[in-house]
Amino acid sequence: MIADAATGVALALRGEGDPYALSGILRQEDALTPAAVRVLGADALAPYAVEHRAVAVGADDEAVVRQALAAYPPGADASAVSAWTYRGLVEAAHAFLPGGAPPWPPPPEAGTGWVESDPWPKLAHRASQLAALALPPLAPGLAEQLAGRTDDLARGFVRAVRRRDWLQAAGLGRWLARLPEAPQTLGLDSGLAFVRQMGGTDPRVALHVAAARRFHGRGW
Amino acid sequence: MVTDRTAPVETATLAAEVEGLLEPAEADGVFRDTRECGGALLLAALLLISPPTPRPKTDVR
Amino acid sequence: MTAGHSDPGLLDRMVRSSLGWLEGARGQFRLPANVTTDADPNLTLKPLGELAELTQLIGVLHPREDIRHTARGLFAFAWNETRDGELFAELIRGEPFATYPVELYGVFAQAGLRHAEVDELVRTTTRLRGWRVAREDHTRTLGVLNAERRIGLRQHADFSAVLALTGLGGLPEPWALDRKAAYGVTHDVFHLTDWGRNRQRLSPELAQYLRLWLPSWLENWLEEQLWDLVGELLAVTACLPKAPHDPAAWQRLADAQAADGSVPEMGAAPSSDDPDELFTACYHSTLVTAFAATLARIAADEAEAGPSGGDPALVGGRTPCESESAP
Repeated sequence: MIADAATGVALALRGEGDPYALSGILRQEDALTPAAVRVLGADALAPYAVEHRAVAVGADDEAVVRQALAAYPPGADASAVSAWTYRGLVEAAHAFLPGGAPPWPPPPEAGTGWVESDPWPKLAHRASQLAALALPPLAPGLAEQLAGRTDDLARGFVRAVRRRDWLQAAGLGRWLARLPEAPQTLGLDSGLAFVRQMGGTDPRVALHVAAARRFHGRGW
Repeated sequence: MVTDRTAPVETATLAAEVEGLLEPAEADGVFRDTRECGGALLLAALLLISPPTPRPKTDVR
Repeated sequence: MTAGHSDPGLLDRMVRSSLGWLEGARGQFRLPANVTTDADPNLTLKPLGELAELTQLIGVLHPREDIRHTARGLFAFAWNETRDGELFAELIRGEPFATYPVELYGVFAQAGLRHAEVDELVRTTTRLRGWRVAREDHTRTLGVLNAERRIGLRQHADFSAVLALTGLGGLPEPWALDRKAAYGVTHDVFHLTDWGRNRQRLSPELAQYLRLWLPSWLENWLEEQLWDLVGELLAVTACLPKAPHDPAAWQRLADAQAADGSVPEMGAAPSSDDPDELFTACYHSTLVTAFAATLARIAADEAEAGPSGGDPALVGGRTPCESESAP
């Protein structure tokens, strides 16, 4: 179900397939839809970030997102990834589903101490799990902090490709596409193409690579 | 996996599953190396201070 | 890269322990009577050549006298095994177009151990047009060029031009590196810097490339437990200006070293009763460990002393035993 939804998002980002509607690929009546939206996070709304979208966002989409936010809030002891992905979905709702009634809740606080303190392999793994937040204009503060560790994220990309962890590599490649100064010798454009060729059968890999291309013009 | 749409939704179980999907453990690395094919194997050149012939990781000595 | 503090005590223990095992393995390094004819050079000349190359460096550069003393003893043993260089005359007469006798002789020649007849022979063979024909492996060509420089011969090709063709000089995508390419990169650095003796030969561009990507490669091959490559990557790290130090990586290599000082090439220590088999499985990684820990120790001393302190002979990575221009 998540894979199908990710495929739908990736297709929309590539400008293929039918016009995207979240409630079209994840139906409101489906009991598992809130869980799937929560897992996809901000990426559930990524196609709405594409300019000049053809179809207006409907009320059904709003309802689907509200369900997800209500059903799976991060707990008091939530991990940074859980807190940040939730925040990402709230931010995306604000950005791409404006004018909701009642208004969307304010984005909850999420910690960034790990960006400073994680050793680079751990940092890279965590950042890749938050790749949906690389969607502009979300999480500008997090992006700025991660920019301070651009080289470490690039090292994570290298490590991930070498150990054939395509999902992690794609997520990191997407962040590096958003950050201003990915190292030139990394070969980010060819790297994203390589990851798509090698691991693109995983819809989430395809989604990240498509997002890097659509929003940042990176990757062949 | 969150794929079975007919099962009754156990909220607590599902919440744990969602957390797991958000933050999966890192997969084991897959290391597969380039194989040599062709003449190089036949030459058996002396490689001064060069790597030993690569062996698969499972090699038992 | 982790800017951790080095542990000179740990590094010195690793070198001592490695040299101790190598001492005990002298019998296996000894050359058989048929070494110039039908013995497998990879099992005879290659181990002895590596022993000579790395113990020469340790014997000159290690800051601790007891370690230098042990290493010099092993280097003298290696020269003795070549019958004071007579071996190279025999090898070159048998295989005048092979590069390996020249490469091996260069190890001793740079230390001032020469054999007059060999000097005459290589002056002739390395001047042939045939010697200048491009070789299949550019990294290997760098090794030949370095040997020519050590012996004082005219270099048969332009070092920089050949370096540009290698896996280091081409600055390939760092994720597109397989095992063979990784060994290529480490050896490109060793030949370029004369095994860490002339680290300033590493251009800023190459140093920056290595500084960025070595941590990723190190992490990968630590995970694969390919200890000789781990040691080589740590040695290359120690060749960088203001060399970074990764204490966790060093600890993992130290953990792989057995109580007897041997370091297996891959994975856990081999279980075998055959001493020859154990030797083949361990000698290379054990030598590399001693070499890498020596370079890291020197880098740590430099960091301690600051850029203007320390042994003046080592400032800028220049060593006393060599000058830039060949004799």
